[in-house]
Amino acid sequence: MRPDDRKYSPTHEWVKLEGDTALIGITDFAVQELSNGNTSDLVYCDLPEAGRMVKAGETFGEIESVKAVSDLNSPVTGEVVDVNHTIEEHLEILAKDPWNSGWMVKLKVSSKNLDGLMDAAAYEKHVAHSKH
Amino acid sequence: MAAWRLITTWAAAPDFNMGLDEALLATPGLPPTVRFYSWKPDTLSLGYFQKLADVPGHERASKLVRRITGGGAIHHVRELTFSISADLSLPLYANGVSESYARVHRAIARALAEFGVEARLRGADALRSDRPGSGMCFHHSTELDLVWDEMKGVGSAQRRKAGRVLHHGSIKLGSSALEGEIATLESRRRGLTPAAFAPALKQAFEAEFEVELEASVPEADERELAKELGPRYLDADFVRSR
Repeated sequence: MRPDDRKYSPTHEWVKLEGDTALIGITDFAVQELSNGNTSDLVYCDLPEAGRMVKAGETFGEIESVKAVSDLNSPVTGEVVDVNHTIEEHLEILAKDPWNSGWMVKLKVSSKNLDGLMDAAAYEKHVAHSKH
Repeated sequence: MAAWRLITTWAAAPDFNMGLDEALLATPGLPPTVRFYSWKPDTLSLGYFQKLADVPGHERASKLVRRITGGGAIHHVRELTFSISADLSLPLYANGVSESYARVHRAIARALAEFGVEARLRGADALRSDRPGSGMCFHHSTELDLVWDEMKGVGSAQRRKAGRVLHHGSIKLGSSALEGEIATLESRRRGLTPAAFAPALKQAFEAEFEVELEASVPEADERELAKELGPRYLDADFVRSR
């Protein structure tokens, strides 16, 4: 079971509210999809600089594995106030701990409404469906 | 059986090729679309995150573009390039990137076999075509790559965006000065053209993906979007942006 202290997007990002900020990262499923279990397959991650505004559903960064480039989509609207640039140099963190040290950006959110995102149970079903 | 579109455009301009692929990726709800194409003039495409300086000799290509798909640089000359644009929810894309590569490569291997090429996935072996430092896609291999004659002969890369996938593939009919000794179809059939290889690839895609490919042309709105998106790919700021 994945952490139930956060919400999940259909494109496999997670968002965890802490006061009026939101931590955002990608799920273990997203990492597995890209890397096929081989962390050295993750080759590049491009994250934004603090100060940028992003809207829910908008791309805030990109990640490349040996065989695919994927967009990173923000599940919420807000201003980027902190960025985990360590990940850009140490992509293996994403495979080891996607839920905590693998956070990517922190947003100051304009709304704490997470309606439309999935809880852990709904996300489990979504992943099961993605696997067909 | 599901019908997918097949758009064939030989000797097309680099900005058109890249613009149309992005248009087909970016438009939600479009039916799965396969493109077969080639390039005029010959063009070197960089992988999305590649630095131009990491591809020595790039100036030998007539044109330069940066793809939106990942991977290494490809000199698009004497090859059949294809793309598949479709929703991520298709069975083709079930179970991750590696599985989807395996499916596409099985189809290509089936077409290659028609021309006497016994292609296989590389697996753990090193290849004769591996040449570190060139930045070229065909000089870097992974276990998923399709190989024959102990060399890489098919380049593949994907872009995944908002629930859709663009899969780029490059099947080498011949080599170029930038690519040197790599696996090619010309080693079996001298003078083979993309148009002469295309029917075998169409049949193989149909059999492997269990679909029917219907010859088609881009819709007017897709052409318009391609025209709007295309120029960025040739823009020096974008090409040299890394």
